[in-house]
Amino acid sequence: MERLFPGNEPALLAVILLECLVFALTGEHFLSIANAFEITRLSVEVGLLALALTPVIITGGIDLSVGSMMGLSAVTLGWLWRDAGVALPAAVALTLIVGIAGGLLNAWMIARLKLAPLIVTLGTLSLFRGIAEGLTRGIENYSGFPAEFRFLGQGYVGGVVPTQLFVFVAATLGVAWWLHRSAYGRGLFAIGHSAEGARFAGIRVGRRLTVVYMLSGVAASAAAIIYVAHLGQAKSDAGTGYELLAITAVVLGGASIFGGRGTVAGTVLGLFAIVILRNGLRLSGLPAELTGILTGALLVGTILVDRLSRSGWRGRSAGVLRRGVTSLAGRQDQMRNSQVAVLSAMILAGSLIVAGSNWMLVRSLRSAFGGQPALTVTPLVPGSTIAAGRAPVVAMMPKAKGDPYFISARIGADAAATELGISLLWDGPTELDPAKQNEVIEAWITRGVDAIAVSVENKAAISSVLRTARARGIKVVTWDADAEADARDFLVNQATPQGIGYALTDETARIMGGDGEFAIVTASLTAANQNEWIRYIKERIAQRYPGLRLVAIQPSDGDRDRAFAETQTILKVHPRVKVVMAIAAPAVPGAAEAVKQSGRTDVKVTGLSLPNLCRSYIKQGVIESIVLWNTVDLGYLAVEAASAMAAGRLHRGDTTLMAGRLGKVQIVGDEIRLGAPFVFNKSNIDRFNF
Amino acid sequence: MTFRRYQRELPPALALAALLGTVGVVAPSFFSAMNLRDLALNEAPVLLVAIGVTLVILVGEIDISVGSQFAVCSVAAGWFAKAGTPMALMPACLLLTGGAMGALNGWLVGVLRLPSIIVTLAMLVAWRDALRWVTDGAWVQDLPVNFQWFGLGHGTAQWVIVLAVLSVLGGAGWTLRNLAAGRAVYAVGSDAEAARLAGIEPPLVIFSVFVAMGALTGLAALLNAVRFAAVPANAGIGLEMKAIAAVVVGGTLITGGRGSLSGTLVGVALLGTIGTALSFVGINPFWEKALQGAIILAAIVSDATIAGLHHRVRLFRRARVVAR
Repeated sequence: MERLFPGNEPALLAVILLECLVFALTGEHFLSIANAFEITRLSVEVGLLALALTPVIITGGIDLSVGSMMGLSAVTLGWLWRDAGVALPAAVALTLIVGIAGGLLNAWMIARLKLAPLIVTLGTLSLFRGIAEGLTRGIENYSGFPAEFRFLGQGYVGGVVPTQLFVFVAATLGVAWWLHRSAYGRGLFAIGHSAEGARFAGIRVGRRLTVVYMLSGVAASAAAIIYVAHLGQAKSDAGTGYELLAITAVVLGGASIFGGRGTVAGTVLGLFAIVILRNGLRLSGLPAELTGILTGALLVGTILVDRLSRSGWRGRSAGVLRRGVTSLAGRQDQMRNSQVAVLSAMILAGSLIVAGSNWMLVRSLRSAFGGQPALTVTPLVPGSTIAAGRAPVVAMMPKAKGDPYFISARIGADAAATELGISLLWDGPTELDPAKQNEVIEAWITRGVDAIAVSVENKAAISSVLRTARARGIKVVTWDADAEADARDFLVNQATPQGIGYALTDETARIMGGDGEFAIVTASLTAANQNEWIRYIKERIAQRYPGLRLVAIQPSDGDRDRAFAETQTILKVHPRVKVVMAIAAPAVPGAAEAVKQSGRTDVKVTGLSLPNLCRSYIKQGVIESIVLWNTVDLGYLAVEAASAMAAGRLHRGDTTLMAGRLGKVQIVGDEIRLGAPFVFNKSNIDRFNF
Repeated sequence: MTFRRYQRELPPALALAALLGTVGVVAPSFFSAMNLRDLALNEAPVLLVAIGVTLVILVGEIDISVGSQFAVCSVAAGWFAKAGTPMALMPACLLLTGGAMGALNGWLVGVLRLPSIIVTLAMLVAWRDALRWVTDGAWVQDLPVNFQWFGLGHGTAQWVIVLAVLSVLGGAGWTLRNLAAGRAVYAVGSDAEAARLAGIEPPLVIFSVFVAMGALTGLAALLNAVRFAAVPANAGIGLEMKAIAAVVVGGTLITGGRGSLSGTLVGVALLGTIGTALSFVGINPFWEKALQGAIILAAIVSDATIAGLHHRVRLFRRARVVAR
């Protein structure tokens, strides 16, 4: 058995089967052909990285830079195609060459200079992403790729099989053959066991390592090309955090992080274990945060089982990554009774936790059994035909779940759902991530919801999947930020980017008396929304306020503490700044605290944030005012609009909507208007609690 | 001899001096007392975490879960304060909270001998998502008035924070150099088997180092949180990479056994000032990340070059001895 499956394959198969069994019961439309293919589509990008990382890890190395290389490759592809006027096939080829070059840089330092791969690729992780951001100023967003190219990421061959699946299958077979069947690949295992020994056996270690790291660079570029085709847009933030997912897949698959052991089949199974978990939780309406917790538990669990099932690690000199410590492991083959006791206690505690989280599963199991027969493999039901007796399902997505702005919108959304007696799904990425938004919507289409309300992170990236949703009869509403006009039925509009930019500029000019210097603290330098606001802010200044000078734009990454530090610097570098305009919800209190601690009473803070985060600073007079709309009402209105459409109460061409407690709401064209932006200040702040 | 002793710290120290020199010429206002104080306060939590990471790397392991632990500890600090814990007890509470999380890592890595990069990768994801699940991303607000600055007032508390961090740095540095416990960290990191034969218990040492790592993270989270009046739920994203990079730039060998806290101090100072320095010199912040990556790579390449030279010199000497 062990000879057949040197990795964790049997254990992983069991895990995957268990996942499938549970989610078949709890998830809606989990067991459908369409969902099976959707799962594979989503795993291709991470899958390519994981495939290339398998040989890297087998040689005892690691490559943390693959996610950043995806960002750099995506930007290169976009730039070559749009700005440099290179034909798309040539641009694709050149992008792959960039991947090779990046891989060679890693390889040179690892194989030639004999530096630790962990550190080298930690450096190139910053370097590649940094170059991508520097080249595009973080703003450039290449889109409008031709349909033939997007077919690679969005199309179906024969109407069912996602195009990129062929690439993935070919890559899997290729790597599997190369790694396990060719003498060259077997040599990599030898290097992982003992680089020195391999050298004595006549293997050119440096050369093979170079090939391995080059391969991982190329794979990252290929993943980036598919990513761009999948989303229809290229930006410097592509693939952020993918390296950890890919490494998790490889290690779950039974590869030893010290090298010398691992299989392609294991990696693929490990990948599916994670992706199915994520997809299943989504289709079951369980909190997506469970993914991380369960993945972590799975990871520790597998290596623990692995550790117990083998009589300790063979004292393997870990070579590149770790040495010394492992050599003592061989001596501790027999676990002491006390250790077994503690271990059992921990497993018991773990199972208790799982049991605790299971009540949620049981609850959804019950509702699944109560609602409809569970195990039927139904074709996708068009959303408009709401089965009699079943409450309509409205799925709503924020740009990022943890953001205070969207948390307050959710309060309104929940209120509306309770009033209307509909069931509301609230899910989205945990950080700003256009790819994740697509993934969630694809899961919703599979699940068969009645209406989708989405706050769009990236217009170009999401529109095609929204069109698919509409084609399946699901009503689509955008709120907070819009998609392309033909990709949705209505936009619930709180304010246009132009309105926000102008209102912020007007307020700043009012505070400064129309004259002087001010600085902006933005979210991240790549944030699409903020960059659009800044564009309108500059436009307004050019039109109306020749006396205003914008002296600095600093990033805060949506982190209060970073906004604090950046504001401190702004105050010192530009001492004449009279107003700090912070345009991300967590950045405003950060900037305010910095101004307060500097003792500069002549500097005021304004910006875009939530009353609750800024209340004390507004009362102290540090924050002069914040510009926003009632976000609770925005969430409320979005759900009202979506469910009205699903119930057939709202159609294109209507001019008003009766929206519960908000009364009659104006509709202009295809925009449902919440009202103009609102300026919160000392006099009115206490009337609002969100 | 002193030169030899600080040889590993020399390249980053020179780089820092060059950076500060350039900034001093282009923008002398960088060296205002206020800017230096702000920099010290902003980097103090990073330094505390980096001290812990130094210990972990010295012992031959790695911890990439500190950012998530930092976030959990920050929120925990807010909860403790809201539950009415006296501010004097807060450091103890946070040391315990962080220490407990570190103990979990330490037990899995030190006692059960699981690879640290995998264990802490799992913890990185699990703690972060668990925190998101529990808090739903909501900030801890309406903290007691005496939460900010320990109720000591702005000026005093800033000194308390800086002195606390410096004393931890000094204490840890002295322990590493002079006490048996400190030398055991180097011994296990150099060669665990040899350390075991010399009467040291590597599992215990590794376990203790992870507990210390967690406790320091807890303290760092507290000292960071008290500078503000509310606690965000997403603190510390990317902190682990920042700390590891600083430690490595500071000359600590990633495979363990060699390195020092003075190097870590230089590393934190170098990577911590670069962003602010860019602003003072007037370079676009878009290039900050690329520059940081370049510094990390330059540091390790120069380290490897020096090590290579050193190795050749030693071989040469040995050859001479043999020839004699």
